[in-house]
Amino acid sequence: MPEFSSVPIFAIENFSVNQAVSTLGKLDSPQPSRHLPKILVVDDERRIADTLTEILHMSGFDVAKAYDGWEALRTTEHFHPDYLLSDVLMPRMNGVDLAIAVRQKFPAAKIILFSGQAGISEILQEGQRRGFAFELIAKPIHPVKLIERLRSA
Amino acid sequence: MKSGLGKLSPAISSGHSLDVGSHFAALVNGSADPMLSSDPTGTVLSWNAAAARLFIYHPAEIIGQSVQLLIPSGTQAKELRSLESVAAGKVIPPFESDWVRKDGREIPVLVTIYPVKDQSNKVIGASLLVCDLTEQRKADESRFRLAAIVDSADDAIVSKNLNSIVTSWNEGARRIFGYSAEEMVGNSILQLIPDELQYEEEEILSKLRVGERIDHYETRRKKKNGEIFDVSVTISPVKDESGRVIGASKIARDISDRKRIERMLIQSEKLAATGRMAAAIAHEINNPLESVMNLIYLARQHCAGSRIPHDYLVTAEEELERVSHIARQTLGYYKDTGSPVEVHLHDLIENVLTVYNSKLLATGITVDSSFNDLQKILASRGEMLQVFSNIISNAIDAMRQGGTLKIATRKVRSAAGDGIQIVIRDTGIGIKQDHLENIFEAFYTTKGDLGTGLGLWVAKQLIEKRGGQISVASNTEPGHSGTTITVFLPFAIPVLRDAEEQR
Repeated sequence: MPEFSSVPIFAIENFSVNQAVSTLGKLDSPQPSRHLPKILVVDDERRIADTLTEILHMSGFDVAKAYDGWEALRTTEHFHPDYLLSDVLMPRMNGVDLAIAVRQKFPAAKIILFSGQAGISEILQEGQRRGFAFELIAKPIHPVKLIERLRSA
Repeated sequence: MKSGLGKLSPAISSGHSLDVGSHFAALVNGSADPMLSSDPTGTVLSWNAAAARLFIYHPAEIIGQSVQLLIPSGTQAKELRSLESVAAGKVIPPFESDWVRKDGREIPVLVTIYPVKDQSNKVIGASLLVCDLTEQRKADESRFRLAAIVDSADDAIVSKNLNSIVTSWNEGARRIFGYSAEEMVGNSILQLIPDELQYEEEEILSKLRVGERIDHYETRRKKKNGEIFDVSVTISPVKDESGRVIGASKIARDISDRKRIERMLIQSEKLAATGRMAAAIAHEINNPLESVMNLIYLARQHCAGSRIPHDYLVTAEEELERVSHIARQTLGYYKDTGSPVEVHLHDLIENVLTVYNSKLLATGITVDSSFNDLQKILASRGEMLQVFSNIISNAIDAMRQGGTLKIATRKVRSAAGDGIQIVIRDTGIGIKQDHLENIFEAFYTTKGDLGTGLGLWVAKQLIEKRGGQISVASNTEPGHSGTTITVFLPFAIPVLRDAEEQR
């Protein structure tokens, strides 16, 4: 059984790693540099923020993390993200408000929201009323698929 | 007293006409009913006390006057003709009329007129017996009014005797039950009671016999067309003058609409509660799942060199994928916010089968698939995954002893437009006929504690939202048992519904 589905997973993984290598440069030297895409990861679930930071770093991103929306906005003062990956339901400032602030500050930034919960459609709709629509993906999502989504964002 | 008797006896024995006359006058005067006499021209000759009470005329005021005083001008001609026929020696049988009192008020009366003849049989006048109908008229009116009220009532109002035989049946009863009064009066009320509730009548009768009333009792009754419906009945004993229970009056109200609304409310309450619970649980499960998925992925990256731990982690990842899948399936029956994408349904179904692969193998189920849906369809991937994994998971549950899961997809043309038809057939135990009609209802499950009763309901909601259809056929006959679920998804996106979603 393990052999059965490990093959496609490897395939996707290798594919995305290759993609990362080909578009971002060498995988072996994932030090932050001007050439690496910058991603800001925001989640009040610290384990998720921490693990994703490590995974994205390994996949060739220049990663900064924050545990809530305010902290994330402060981070953008010195870290200008190409990507924002943010949870939706967070204390102090929700993901949609954060995403709107980031979009206004960095119009070129690619934004993906992710959430483990239903009942956030109102927050998203509120964003839409203000003229902002964002892509939302459901947690849990396999890191390989997450990276795919980021690349196609 | 003694003198009175002494006076009476000689009069009777001697036949003295004068004495008999005065006795007779006393009798007439003492009568409770008004009496008067007139000559052939209608002039009043005598007037008893009751007549004086009813018409308020003192004898002195009316004797010598015409009876026309008592008769309203509108009917005078007719009644005078009656007097004429009396003059011809005829008896006028009782007729109803309205006569006028001294104060001008009309009162309903029943009048009988006899000719008064002398010894030569010549008509010398008329005697008029008048019966005051005021009370009776009032009683009649209230009876008619009650009857009108009873007939105009929306409720069925019925009476029966203690042998359960219907004795009256109003218009409402006809509307509600479908039987006419002619069909029901004289027949047993038992024919309105469904077979399994026949015992109720005996309980009702025993309560009635001791004079008890039954208020707003909710039960089910049967219409003429056999339809069973919800009713609320109030039954009261009907007693005779001596207080003996002789029957019952029964008011039945059709409450099927109310019951249906109640059921819907309960259902939507359940749904709302489940939705809230699912949202809360989803948060508490999906976030840790995300962390664990990330941790396993990281662990894999860090043990890339050693084969065995790596394989363990790959297996762990697969198991985690199963948990995630179930979490999405049961907790994620909320609107998928992902926008529709072009999907190959057979890819999607194979994807679902991969998730259930270990279960299929363990149960000894072979999958026989034939995919002919070459065209992609625009649909929400998450929702379609949910639909097909619910259907396939049901099929697997039905084949505990193994079997064959047949899945076929093909492009079809239909009146409703072209689309893709997916037929999923199992060789499991099948679904009983009386369960079939309910299986798409929320919280309906045939799996006992193992089912949430949401799977097929969710599937139906999602398919219908996409403009498609789902249907079921099943057979429980051993040897041929199995269930077939057919799904049709049109290529065209339902425009109106979609616009609604966007709002």
